[in-house]
Amino acid sequence: MAPAVQLDSVCVGFAGQGGETRRVLNGIDLEIRSGEFVSVVGQTGCGKSTLLRLILGETKPEAGRVRVEGIVRSQPDRRCGYVPQKYSLFPDKTVLGNITFGLEVSESRSFWLLRSIHRQKSREIRALAMRYLEQTGLHESDAHKYPHQLSGGMQQRVAIAQALILNPPILLMDEAFSALDPLTRSGMQQLIKELWRESGTTIVFVTHNTREAVCLGTRVVALARNGVQGSSVVLDLDTKHIEFDSDEEKIQSVVERIECASQPGLVGMQARLVPTFAPDF
Amino acid sequence: MKSIGIHGQPLRGIAGALSWFLFAVGIVSYFYVAHQRHIENPDERVMPTAAQMVQSFASAALNPAEDDVVGEENPSLWAKLQSSMLWKDSMATSRRFLISVLLLFPAVVLGLHMAMFPYVGAFFLRFTQFFDKIVALSLLPVLFIAFGIDELSKIMLVVIGVAPTIILDTFNLSKSVPREQIVKAATLGAGDFAITYRVVFKQIWPRVLNSIRLNLKAVMLFLFAGEMIASSDGLAYRIALLRRHMGMDTIIPYVLWVALLLFLVDLAMHTLNRKLHPWFQET
Repeated sequence: MAPAVQLDSVCVGFAGQGGETRRVLNGIDLEIRSGEFVSVVGQTGCGKSTLLRLILGETKPEAGRVRVEGIVRSQPDRRCGYVPQKYSLFPDKTVLGNITFGLEVSESRSFWLLRSIHRQKSREIRALAMRYLEQTGLHESDAHKYPHQLSGGMQQRVAIAQALILNPPILLMDEAFSALDPLTRSGMQQLIKELWRESGTTIVFVTHNTREAVCLGTRVVALARNGVQGSSVVLDLDTKHIEFDSDEEKIQSVVERIECASQPGLVGMQARLVPTFAPDF
Repeated sequence: MKSIGIHGQPLRGIAGALSWFLFAVGIVSYFYVAHQRHIENPDERVMPTAAQMVQSFASAALNPAEDDVVGEENPSLWAKLQSSMLWKDSMATSRRFLISVLLLFPAVVLGLHMAMFPYVGAFFLRFTQFFDKIVALSLLPVLFIAFGIDELSKIMLVVIGVAPTIILDTFNLSKSVPREQIVKAATLGAGDFAITYRVVFKQIWPRVLNSIRLNLKAVMLFLFAGEMIASSDGLAYRIALLRRHMGMDTIIPYVLWVALLLFLVDLAMHTLNRKLHPWFQET
């Protein structure tokens, strides 16, 4: 069976000032198996979001290949759900409209459907949306609110429901909880972990918060910059034994290890010597 | 002491009084100067009195134009209104105005497609930017030669004058929709046209309507220029005609009538925009 996501020697660069290309990612190799919850961490500007956009099909690699379920990525499609940090909801649609958007778009393609069948389908879509609304901790009374009437946490809950209702094999989350207050953030972390356990969807979770990455993911991939050469993977840790309620010392030691490895100056040495760490606990 | 600086918050009554103050000053000043001029010269025509203006406006609203054929004798009030100079002029200008505004909608579609489809953008953008810089009124003689002096040339003047602005405005508004929204829609299975019309167009539409609202005065400006130069009816034609006879007692009410009509159209569009798009947070 093909891995959910596979990156082979991927390089990405962007045109910088003065016309020279600034390399962001340098020869990234990464394989994500189906059903994994992979957290991607690294300092600001190390290319975490670029990595996510590569998997989405939004950015094309300069060199190397990105494959999702064995197929080379060309553009964003339904195989990858997406929850960005901001602008995740359509402001002109209600909560219900946002959640049902994906299903309605596919329904409207089946124009040949009889009106009565279409009405029946609409009822089914609505019922399904209400179920996801409830599952993500929202109330029925929120269904007809517009995004600007919701708090940041509620908006992200809707965004998750909007993505999950289509049952995408892969869910990509780009700093999805970064703008939330600590209490809401903690609730959202628990929610996404529960949803992942129930659905078995592969999740790639980009964050700059190492602790969040360690406690949420079953695996942590750390990126770090190496001057002009761009970032590469400096650590690939199995963290499935760590949860939010794990021993604090254990969490802290892993967090420190990742943060130490992600220091820009050490990258060249570490990436070459030990590209992949084996878990040691 | 209450602040009147940037932290100041005027009471509702004071804010209302302030907003009407300049109207009151304008009206009082006008009638004071008009009164003084009429004392000096009883035949004064540049600044007519309120009574003269009301009389002339009533006459324009109830009597046909001098060059119009009078129909039946003792017509009803409604019939008198419909055959009046003001009604006919208003209808002629409104018809041209409405056609011109409707012709701006293809401009919206073009601007949207230019922003969403890079090949369409590459094809039209530079030309539209260049065309936007052409002073439409300088094209008036060309338009009269190309389209004649009938309705078409006047409407084309409005379209040429305002359409490039609307195209570029729609283009910029469409481009300002966050990329995340477009990617998100694609991951939800939306194709190119679903993204264009169901995501981007729906989000920018209230802002486009606002842009058209702000350009209504420009539409009217070009329309008036066309009517003043080559027309046999319309509000601007009448103003130009009355100017030759120094008919300020009709010109001033006509100017206020045009302002009132534009204000009502603007208000209607604003109300409709708010009703149709309750999610739209106007800035």
